[in-house]
Amino acid sequence: MHILATEGLTKSFPGVTALDRLTVSAGPGVTGLVGANGAGKSTLIKMLLGLLPPTAGTAQVLDLDVATRGADIRRLVGYMPEHDCLPPDVSATELVIHFAQMSGLPRAAARERAADTLRHVGLYEERYRPIGGYSTGMKQRVKLAQALVQDPRLVFLDEPTNGLDPQGRDDMLALIRRIGTEFGISVVVTSHLLGELERICDHVIVIDAGRLLRSSAITDFTQATQVLTVEVDEGTEALAARLAEAGEHVTPQGRVLLVRVRGPQTYDTIRDAAADLELCLIRLEQGRHRIEDVFREEVAGV
Amino acid sequence: MSESAGVIHDIGYRHYDGPRLGSGYATRALFAYSLRGIFGLGRPARSKVIPIFLALVMLLPAVVSIAILAMVKQRTMEYTQLAVFMQPVLAIFLASQSPTVVAPDLRYKVLPLYLSRPVTVVQYVVAKLAAMTLALFLLIGVPLTLMYVGELLVDLPGPPETMQYVAAMVSGLLLSVLLAALGLLLASLTPRRGLGVASVIAVYLLTSAVAVALYGAFESLGRMTAASWAVLVNPVSLVDAVRVWLFGGGTAGMTYPDGPGPALIALALIVVLVGGLALRYRKAAAR
Repeated sequence: MHILATEGLTKSFPGVTALDRLTVSAGPGVTGLVGANGAGKSTLIKMLLGLLPPTAGTAQVLDLDVATRGADIRRLVGYMPEHDCLPPDVSATELVIHFAQMSGLPRAAARERAADTLRHVGLYEERYRPIGGYSTGMKQRVKLAQALVQDPRLVFLDEPTNGLDPQGRDDMLALIRRIGTEFGISVVVTSHLLGELERICDHVIVIDAGRLLRSSAITDFTQATQVLTVEVDEGTEALAARLAEAGEHVTPQGRVLLVRVRGPQTYDTIRDAAADLELCLIRLEQGRHRIEDVFREEVAGV
Repeated sequence: MSESAGVIHDIGYRHYDGPRLGSGYATRALFAYSLRGIFGLGRPARSKVIPIFLALVMLLPAVVSIAILAMVKQRTMEYTQLAVFMQPVLAIFLASQSPTVVAPDLRYKVLPLYLSRPVTVVQYVVAKLAAMTLALFLLIGVPLTLMYVGELLVDLPGPPETMQYVAAMVSGLLLSVLLAALGLLLASLTPRRGLGVASVIAVYLLTSAVAVALYGAFESLGRMTAASWAVLVNPVSLVDAVRVWLFGGGTAGMTYPDGPGPALIALALIVVLVGGLALRYRKAAAR
């Protein structure tokens, strides 16, 4: 099952093409939507919500066509906009109950779901105070709560980490990961920071200037390279010499050694060499492509 | 072994599998939420002061008239004149509360949260308009009903003025619709709350001043027909003229044009105002 699928989706505004023949699909789980500002992320989300009609092409969300089943889609999805969207003079509880009702939950169920959801996003006693006095981090949590309160099948989170400090960012990312795994709600999350999505996504869609650059599983982006990073306390040169003797390809890089993996025996050789020389092995890890590198290559290649 | 008290257990995420009602229910929920907002219910205490005070002021003439009714057994005010006499209070209520209905959703961009749910922009506008209409109608209708109940209890000689009460309620509803549409359109065009308040009160003052000035000018020229039409610039007088055409009754010294003219103007005005509101929101939704 696809949570979203588009076919030649195009949106033209007078003078600018926001989306250009975008054909992409994504399955359940956490899907990252990456692109620079103005790449067309927000436009895509609005079209997937059935709020903006496509100029050309088609799109399905949860196997429902956006052009004809917009109301049904909006019943099943939640949406957290990028911009501020909270009135200052109501409390978080009042607001979230209201939006649960707006999604069709009866009053009693709305109250219960609002209390549960606010607890899940990490708002406690302060939820009874007017939102006007909240910090940015708390406001982001309320925005997330109103998107989750109706227990959607899918949530669109547009730049959820915007304006958060590093701790708030980490909390928000952990929460999004929990929504995708523990809560069992599929997530489409946009960001222009690839490092963030790398930590939480199963699948990443990269768009640039309204066109698809790449769509693939996160493991393809960050697949293990065939290089090991080895760090020892002291005796780095001795270890390098011993490994070279054993036929391994070794490149010293500062305090660490980069060793090309020839096969499973490479791990054994490093272990044995360190043990024979009675060295203190601090680190032995697989080098990883960072998603940024991939992105940089792809953008440069276009 | 007993569980220690006060421990909160994280029971994890629970899915909701209860009923999901349609957009009609959501529209009613929005209507109720907006109506509560107009009277400051569920909002901080300072949001309640103005609307509750004005609602109490609207009750004053009713209380006084019942008291006089009870003591002197004499009618002091006709039902149909309540809204006309109290129109400044209604105007202040409209000006101060219209922005609370529509302005925050535009100014703080709450509208996308509604539109990403099953309600349509038309249902949104209908709910807001209905909430403001009912709020105004409560302000007019509750004192009227109080007076009517008072009259029944006091048991004056002769039949009660039931027809006048009905006429006052019907014209009160029409006035509520007209004022609500006017107030919401002006407030939605000026999303900053202070500007909204100022623009609604300015339009009211302007229409009533223009009506008085034109009436005086035409009267001094001896052109009474023109003068009677000029009065209709004031929306409260316009609705009062419709009431006279429908039900007859006293006019408190005003002369209104005969026939269905005022009713047609009122209807056209409502259509124009609601149409303007629809256009305003079609634009807001597209953003």
